[in-house]
Amino acid sequence: MSKSMLITGGHVIDPANGVDEPRDVLVGEDGRISAVERPGVINAERADKVVDASGLVVAPGFLDIHVHLREPGGEAQETIETGCRAAAKGGFTSVWCMPNTNPTNDSVWVTRYILDRARESGGGIHVHPVAAVTKGLAGRELNDFGALLGAGAAGFTDDGRPVESAAVMRTAMMHARDLGATIFDHCEELSITGAGAMHLGPTSLRQGIPGIPRSSEALIVMRDGMLALETGCRFHVQHVSNQESVEAIRWLKARGARITAEASPHHLLLTDERVGEGETNAKMKPPLCEEADRQAIVAALEDGTLDCIATDHAPHTASAKARGFAEAPFGIIGMETAFASLHTGFVVRGKWTLRFLIEQLTSAPAKVMAGAMGEGKGTLGSGAPADLVLIDPKATWRFEERHVGSRSRNCPWIGETFRGRVEATFAGGRCVYRVVDAGASLARAASAGT
Amino acid sequence: MATTSRRRLIRVNDLSDAALAELFARARAFETGEALPGGRLQGRFVVNLFYENSTRTRVSFEVAAKRLGAEVVNVTPAGTSVAKGESLVDTVRTIEANGPDVIVFRHQDSGAPEVIERETKAAVINAGDGSRGHPTQALLDAMTLQSTLQRERLDGLMVAMVGDVIHSRVARSNMDLLPRLGARVRLVGPSCFVADGFRDLGFEVAHDLEEGLRGCDVVMMLRVQLERHQGVSFGSTREYHRRYGLTKERLDRCAPQAWVMHPGPTNRGVEMTDEVMDDPRCLVRSQVEHGMFVRMAALDMLVSGGAA
Repeated sequence: MSKSMLITGGHVIDPANGVDEPRDVLVGEDGRISAVERPGVINAERADKVVDASGLVVAPGFLDIHVHLREPGGEAQETIETGCRAAAKGGFTSVWCMPNTNPTNDSVWVTRYILDRARESGGGIHVHPVAAVTKGLAGRELNDFGALLGAGAAGFTDDGRPVESAAVMRTAMMHARDLGATIFDHCEELSITGAGAMHLGPTSLRQGIPGIPRSSEALIVMRDGMLALETGCRFHVQHVSNQESVEAIRWLKARGARITAEASPHHLLLTDERVGEGETNAKMKPPLCEEADRQAIVAALEDGTLDCIATDHAPHTASAKARGFAEAPFGIIGMETAFASLHTGFVVRGKWTLRFLIEQLTSAPAKVMAGAMGEGKGTLGSGAPADLVLIDPKATWRFEERHVGSRSRNCPWIGETFRGRVEATFAGGRCVYRVVDAGASLARAASAGT
Repeated sequence: MATTSRRRLIRVNDLSDAALAELFARARAFETGEALPGGRLQGRFVVNLFYENSTRTRVSFEVAAKRLGAEVVNVTPAGTSVAKGESLVDTVRTIEANGPDVIVFRHQDSGAPEVIERETKAAVINAGDGSRGHPTQALLDAMTLQSTLQRERLDGLMVAMVGDVIHSRVARSNMDLLPRLGARVRLVGPSCFVADGFRDLGFEVAHDLEEGLRGCDVVMMLRVQLERHQGVSFGSTREYHRRYGLTKERLDRCAPQAWVMHPGPTNRGVEMTDEVMDDPRCLVRSQVEHGMFVRMAALDMLVSGGAA
């Protein structure tokens, strides 16, 4: 049992409950939300501790439904401990980790190992393993879905790779449907991608970097969407990167497919130009595409064709990224910068409300993950776990290496000036992160005129 | 005269206009004998670090360095710790510890020279990276044209590059260099080798050879990597030759005045016929000769800096 806590003076944004007003939040000794009331209604004496959130926004802790924590097997890149530290720094209190570990999370043993390690070293962040569709991600033999769900797996994906065979995917979807589980797919036609290392477009032609044709993603979105229609399975498209895929998802949704999809901060904010002369921290799969694609993804998130934001946090060591572009691995870390980069790029510029951004990081992913450990998350409703984030929307700060929580540094945002910052993160009522940054605090004090 | 702040020749555009003119002037001085190479790189140490097979480029660099008096060491992955799995960065750090003045570098990955440059104080010369660049090849191609046409600028010249442009580092370096000298560039080949997207980068595109040849002053044939493409990117070499092979008849019909170039090695009977190879309009031999002078000039400028 922890102590009860009153968060007072803050502006609560809780999209799940339609709240966007000054509110005090009382967290009970059980680590759950006890009450959310207008300022002054809750007597401070009821709480063991009072947190002054004046000038801050109080929101549900963020959900990241797509991260790579690398443990077991990739501990040089990330561990569950460092991955959860990255999550806490970015305001994420629940993460769904992908199965492309070593060994692959295709067994009850690995699923349980991840859950055990999360309990031991996760610092209170909720970690939900998503298990592999096929043994060893090899695309041939289906895993034991029922046993994996029983062990705590949240759903199934071969992320990092597609399930190459349409027939294997179709069978997987039928089993998932019977079990009420969701299939997540990294949509990519490998025979089209070939040796491609970035989007096939002006930058790849100029730089002589092998390109990935845009049809590579959309073909598999359409294939899996058709299979989802046929089987009735819940199907989620991971990291949508281009306008063709957006159109395919729109069409499939209109046809009644039980399909959801996510957009990553990098696809919302960056284009292939960021690769420049071969910046390996702008190399990821699916690749950054062109401005028209970026705009299509933004519009699709706004109109609900895409359902939420997820980072695809993918740590790689500095030595792995210190190669030529084609030989460097795909992926960038993203949890620490997701909120700040999107707040700077969209909210500060008046394109989104802060409430919309918070929704895309809280209630929206919780809805996508309904039936996949998302229930009761992303809300400040009474009785919900007290997963909270305190945000200073006015803080102006420079994102530097020391702000990274991950064990890896493969991030295109290092050196970037952001507006808006996660000041503190609480999981289950316990503080798991708070900013310690004299310089930025001074900036905040200055901007507040104090 | 300084070349760039960092001593490198990784991209054509590492050379300012002034440095470019200086490089051509030095190469010509070596060619005519005005400048004597002996001893200019005495006591200097050049490493040829080649991750891909090469005969003409490696030999050309080696001869160029030796004629300038440098010590040359050739490092190839087979028979070194690279074969034992050592990373590129670690290999370069090992070489760096031996204090080279220049690393001449070839690698299969576009952008690899920028990676090794961070690990060494030596000047880096790119001898070909992936599909990205091969600057000394473009420089020798330009010098060959300058000496054939007896003029420094190539204004008004239409150069058609024919073949596998999308995978060609030779094409990319020439696409960087030739427009700077005033030439226009047209890219000719099947869609799988010449993407329409090149139009957005400012180049003409043609998918029909005869259409592509019309009105051009220079035909630069590119090597087709048969081992990689046959049956995948096109049906057979005969089919490729039928549609894109340069024959004397086609040359005479479409661009009778045009000079013909090829970076080598040539697939005789595929990109071009024996007859064209041996035609007086074919500049292949002249290209090889100019290669050495261009490389001498590049080494000389990067190491000794000052005027020839």
